[in-house]
Amino acid sequence: MYDLIILGAGPAGYLAAERAAQAGLDVLIIEKRFIGGVCLNEGCIPSKALLHSAKVLDYAKHSAQYGVTVQNASIDHSAVIERKNKIVKMLTAGIKGKMRTNKVTVIDGEGVITGKNTVAVGDAKYQGRRILICTGSQPIIPPIKGVAEGLKNGTVVTNRELLDIKEIPDKLVVIGGGVIGLEMASYFNSAGSNVTVIEMLPHIAGQTDKEVSAILLKNYADKGIEFKLGCKVVEVTDNAVIYESEGKSDMAHADKVLLSIGRKPVVDGIGLEAIGVYCENGAIVTDKTMRTNIANVYAAGDVNGKSMLAHTAYREAEVAVNNMLGKKDIMRYNAVASVIYTSPEVASVGETEETAAGKGLEVEVITQPMMFSGRYVAENVRGDGICKIVIDKKLKNILGVHMIGNYASEIIYGAALMIEMQMRVEDVKELIFPHPTVCEIIRETLFK
Amino acid sequence: MATAVIMPKQGQSVESCIITKWHKKQGDKIKKGDILFSYETDKASFDEEAKTEGTLLAVFFEEGDDVECLLNVCVIGDEGEDYTEFMPQNKDMAAQPQEQKEQAPSEAPQPVLEQAPAQKDGFIKISPRARALADKSGADIRFAVPSGANERVMERDVQNVIEQGKLVTSAAAEQYAQMQPISGTGIGGRVVTADLTETVAEKLPIAEFKEVKLSNIRRIIAKTMHDSLANSAQLTLNTSFDASGILSLRKKLKENAEQLGLPNITINDFITFAVSRVLVRYKDLNAHFQDDTIKQFTNANIGIACDTERGLMVPTLFGANLLSLAEIASKSKALTTACKEGTINPDLLSGATFTITNLGTLGVESFTPVINPPQTGILGVCGITERTKNGVSYPAMGLSITFDHRAIDGAPCARFMQELTQALENFSLALMA
Repeated sequence: MYDLIILGAGPAGYLAAERAAQAGLDVLIIEKRFIGGVCLNEGCIPSKALLHSAKVLDYAKHSAQYGVTVQNASIDHSAVIERKNKIVKMLTAGIKGKMRTNKVTVIDGEGVITGKNTVAVGDAKYQGRRILICTGSQPIIPPIKGVAEGLKNGTVVTNRELLDIKEIPDKLVVIGGGVIGLEMASYFNSAGSNVTVIEMLPHIAGQTDKEVSAILLKNYADKGIEFKLGCKVVEVTDNAVIYESEGKSDMAHADKVLLSIGRKPVVDGIGLEAIGVYCENGAIVTDKTMRTNIANVYAAGDVNGKSMLAHTAYREAEVAVNNMLGKKDIMRYNAVASVIYTSPEVASVGETEETAAGKGLEVEVITQPMMFSGRYVAENVRGDGICKIVIDKKLKNILGVHMIGNYASEIIYGAALMIEMQMRVEDVKELIFPHPTVCEIIRETLFK
Repeated sequence: MATAVIMPKQGQSVESCIITKWHKKQGDKIKKGDILFSYETDKASFDEEAKTEGTLLAVFFEEGDDVECLLNVCVIGDEGEDYTEFMPQNKDMAAQPQEQKEQAPSEAPQPVLEQAPAQKDGFIKISPRARALADKSGADIRFAVPSGANERVMERDVQNVIEQGKLVTSAAAEQYAQMQPISGTGIGGRVVTADLTETVAEKLPIAEFKEVKLSNIRRIIAKTMHDSLANSAQLTLNTSFDASGILSLRKKLKENAEQLGLPNITINDFITFAVSRVLVRYKDLNAHFQDDTIKQFTNANIGIACDTERGLMVPTLFGANLLSLAEIASKSKALTTACKEGTINPDLLSGATFTITNLGTLGVESFTPVINPPQTGILGVCGITERTKNGVSYPAMGLSITFDHRAIDGAPCARFMQELTQALENFSLALMA
């Protein structure tokens, strides 16, 4: 009898295993594919490796404006993929090592819940006092004509296959202008593809602040990515994607098609029905302590569909383990930052003007061009980034921070801290920011 | 020239008043007659009007502050004029050694600042260092166990609160100080703004409620009434009398009021008149009970319980036994009107030797009045009910007397009631006596 059986060794699963084992629990973790999950193997980390190569190339291509001469800069895609694979190997080895040193039992296989304390892997059955479901998410495959065939013959791919593609496609069509679609569009644009992004909404980057997403779109349109906004894909053929806009039909030629319209929790085939775990809209329903409706059964990460970000999964895993250990802890989602690792980077946390209005919050918004940061000016020729801060009108505390510009990804945690601590404008004004840095823009914005 | 506005002394017995509302703020232009602030004593409230023109240069006390009478409350003068000499604490500074006095200008406003936040968490005594630490860290000082002299919260006590994680974010701090302590859902268990509103929804089924701070007058009533019941041996006797006599007399007087030049005479006035005449013969009921002595009064100073918007007020009709019925009627009317308008002289709110309270007009048939200590008796006037005597129906008016058994026994008190009912039933005779 294990103290804890974990289904899925992605960010939620492996972190929970590590924390629980460190607290003295006897832990079994079951993974059907790769330790590290989507994040480490076919998501966050590998895409960052690719995007960094793209960024280095971009610097080289635009080096002249910084007074540096580089000639014939080009990308060696196979070398990029090789480097990416090394990184993934190194990091997954690190996770495996952590499991070993913490004496977590790891089983490769598909775990299926068969009872309140039982998980089966093939013919073997394992008993656990508690179960933590961390089965993650998978790409949504829409019932569009030609997609199923395309997936079979390889013209249509998801992020998983695209990250291992051998050759740069001449024409890449990205269906879905969310985070994954934009990051992949960004890399392949730099790597030399003609990229078209087709998005159903009238803007890109999903929930991102509209002003910020408009700046991002302009940057990528300038780099040559074509955006088809407000367009609905109706068919995928062997060499084109057919879409409709305002009743008119049009097509974009494609050698490869990336399907990135969103992800959905993995709730099928894992035995939830055997013990009656309650789901809503295809996601396991969890409370603030990450408990499901069944006693001693918890769920963390993408599988509860709440935020679908690795860092959310980490924290949810910790909350779940703390509650198993009888330690008071709850999950808060109001200060979960999100980042798009394009160039320029987009980072945001907390309320946007739109979400604040939706919640009936009265807010003030201050926006300042990134050019108010000395370092940003020194390092960006014609940078058009902005920093936008959303403030509670009455209490004057920081509710949201939205930035577009390089280093935004590394700055945003500070903003998350301000939101978690409910710091007021006057409190943040007392903070000292290192000079010259891009993060000073927060200070500059508040003192505007 | 700058002029200070002092907290007026409303009556000899009043030592301090509470500022209830500021109508002007620092920097406002002031005209003669403008209402500067409202303030209240134990039982009455007043408005302070500006007697000079100018700019409100400084305000030394905030709403809710209990200010000693004759202390400077604010300063009116020309813009930019120096007002430091009027600061109330400069008085104390003068007594201090010379060295400290030199620092006075920069430190002078401090005591005022210290006073204000102390109020927001309900009069917690706290050292300035402890207050500063609490403000900086977001520690909820209501969890602090005071370790200083006079139950004062010290810096180390706030440190303990921080270690216990009883913290609040700066955005939530102000509103949280007005609420009952709760455990927070923010980082490290901090109380966050969401907790302030969510508590109602999440901790169902707690009944909805609104917490209302007791007004000064309510606080006084609460203390007096509780002390009365806790510290005396009171009990109530109920009786009634045939009210047809006073009812018909009142009718006649009312009909001829103008002709006779009489004020409106109420049933209460009849009763006050009769009580004042009978009471002076019952020394132990017209008295103050004080530990091992009874102070027996020569004249009947009748307290008249009066229902006002602010709460129960009891003005005193001094020497009622010496007044005519008409005088009783007009003086009672003046007293109750002043109470209702909040303009009563505070000195008229004490000194009663016996109290009359009337719930009869609200249909109450009998009740247990509570003695207003150190008095020894209180008469409750009840409503009129139909009764029959020898087959004839008559209007019976109930009377309930509560008396302090420490001062007077049941039989003499019953005799007082008997004499009182007889006087009321034969009111014309009582008038002539």
